Amino acid sequence: MIWLTWRQFRTQTLLAAALLAAAAVYLLITGTQLRHSYNADLLSCHAPNAQYTCMGLLNGLQTQYNGPLNLIELLVMGTPALVGIFWGAPLIAGELERGTHYMAWNQSVTRGRWLAVKLCAIGLASIVTAGLVSLLMTWWASPLDTMSGNRFGTQAFNARNIAPLGYAAFAFVLGVALGLLIRRTLPAMAATLAVFIAVQFLVTVAVRPNVMPSTTTTVPINQTTMSQAARFDRSPQDTGPVAIDLPTPAGAWNLGETPALNSAGRPIQTSEVLTCWSQLLSKGPVVVKGGPPAGFGSLGACLAPLNLHVNISYLPANRYWPLQWIETALYTVLAALLAAFCFRRVRRVS
Amino acid sequence: MTAILEAHALGMQYGRRRALTDCTLNIPPGHVVGLVGPNGAGKSTLLKLACGLLNPTSGSITVLGETPGSGREQLARVGFLAQDAPVYPHLSVADHLRLGAHLNPRWDQDFAERRVAQLGLDPTQKAGKLSGGQRAQLALTVAAGKRPELLLLDEPVASLDPLARREFLKHLMESVADNDTSVVLSSHLISDLERVCDYLIVLVSSRVRLAGEVDEVTAAHHRIVCTRREPDALPAGLQVISAEHTDRQSTFVVRSDTPLPVGDWAAEPLGMEDLVLTYMENADSSLRPATRDAEVAR
Repeated sequence: MIWLTWRQFRTQTLLAAALLAAAAVYLLITGTQLRHSYNADLLSCHAPNAQYTCMGLLNGLQTQYNGPLNLIELLVMGTPALVGIFWGAPLIAGELERGTHYMAWNQSVTRGRWLAVKLCAIGLASIVTAGLVSLLMTWWASPLDTMSGNRFGTQAFNARNIAPLGYAAFAFVLGVALGLLIRRTLPAMAATLAVFIAVQFLVTVAVRPNVMPSTTTTVPINQTTMSQAARFDRSPQDTGPVAIDLPTPAGAWNLGETPALNSAGRPIQTSEVLTCWSQLLSKGPVVVKGGPPAGFGSLGACLAPLNLHVNISYLPANRYWPLQWIETALYTVLAALLAAFCFRRVRRVS
Repeated sequence: MTAILEAHALGMQYGRRRALTDCTLNIPPGHVVGLVGPNGAGKSTLLKLACGLLNPTSGSITVLGETPGSGREQLARVGFLAQDAPVYPHLSVADHLRLGAHLNPRWDQDFAERRVAQLGLDPTQKAGKLSGGQRAQLALTVAAGKRPELLLLDEPVASLDPLARREFLKHLMESVADNDTSVVLSSHLISDLERVCDYLIVLVSSRVRLAGEVDEVTAAHHRIVCTRREPDALPAGLQVISAEHTDRQSTFVVRSDTPLPVGDWAAEPLGMEDLVLTYMENADSSLRPATRDAEVAR
């Protein structure tokens, strides 16, 4: 049975290995270059007579590698989908479509064993493939991740560390199950892609922010906090709320902020801050390229007597690994449930 | 010895469509069984039930004394060749033999290689490039190479030209002769099977219409030509299968399990083909059951 699985899967394995090798070569070369530039930049900006600030230099590096980063993240996020489409969906649907299951299931091997060997062998190949891609990606992007400090972003979270392993296991078994249900390869491939994307979207948007209890912190608005703010938005109308992006603790995942609230906990209206806002504008342009907006500190000083605050709910940085494990486990459980369904169903298919 | 196949009130339904109805059979061992019936009569369904690909919706079936497909051992005892002889298009002929060798404890590699050589197949050729006849032969080699006690073949010659049919059946008989393998093979044409089978099952509209050893079945059926009369005017004990009337003459096909009584008619034996066609044409019910059945009914 293992021989047959290998013989039927040989071409795909070799193709995947070749693609993986090509990707690895590209990532190792560009990744080494990226590290080289990163270290050189750090060295030059920390030198006593530095010409540029570290922030400016590293921003430049991030911009330079932004294109490749997005491309590779897409590749890592696409790998589970490809595995589901090209390895999962045709596994049983292809046999049913060509009628070769009649030959396969009439050898002296029970269908349960036939499926078990195929699921284990090719499922393992799927997980290993996704794992290697993710490992390369995580290594490649680690200088950029250190710079951005944003490990909870959708792409950064979905395309790093162990989460892709769970995605690959799930996508593969999903493809097998849909192939078993639909019995035709092409529609099963399309359905696999659609369902996989839907589940990924749902988990990213609705499950991930809610699986762990978030922390809520109250940040007062004064000179210190405002000097680190990234954004200050008044409403076009005088009656609208005021939105302020205050910094979250380092490496945390910002889940949401309230608008600026007064001491009673009610959102303040734009008209209440207009005096301070006009004062700031009168001093000249606010936004400076490549740094936090200047002058927000003085705005904060002006607003401080109003006793305003913003509530921020966030996941602290140390929740990153628990969240990765939870998500991987969730997808693994889904894969196991689908596999159980396949074992039940395959006995009743003819 | 245990029966090849024993079925009691076996039924199979796909949704609302009945593929097999109330099928009761007991096929004694050591036969080459012809399963004949028009397309859609339920032949494939019966064979798939026998190899365990399908589970019956009613009734029971045992094959060689065991539930079909109930485990490795039972799978090893029964070989199945599906309609259109599916093979893996991307695997070579030799790969198919390796598949058989890896997946079957009793695989006979010598036999399989000998047959491939006899057939003139190139072991390195991809199965997808074989002709229909060669594909059927390859699939048969894989099914027979595992040395089953029973070989089930679903319309194995339907897609072959007449020469290839003869070749295929010749090889089939050679393959099964040395091992006392029992065979059930289906076809919608009795002429395909006439030469090889010694047991006959006629399946029409999901029901078994006739089952028995070819010699007995042919001996029991007669065509009688007499002056015009109704079927009821025939002596009791004759089961009327078909009746045709002209102005002055009636022609009946009758079944009589005792020697045909002497009457005012001319009687002649029926060939297997005529016999099967008669059953297929008169699928609904026999015109008059044998009297003893009628008595039981009362």
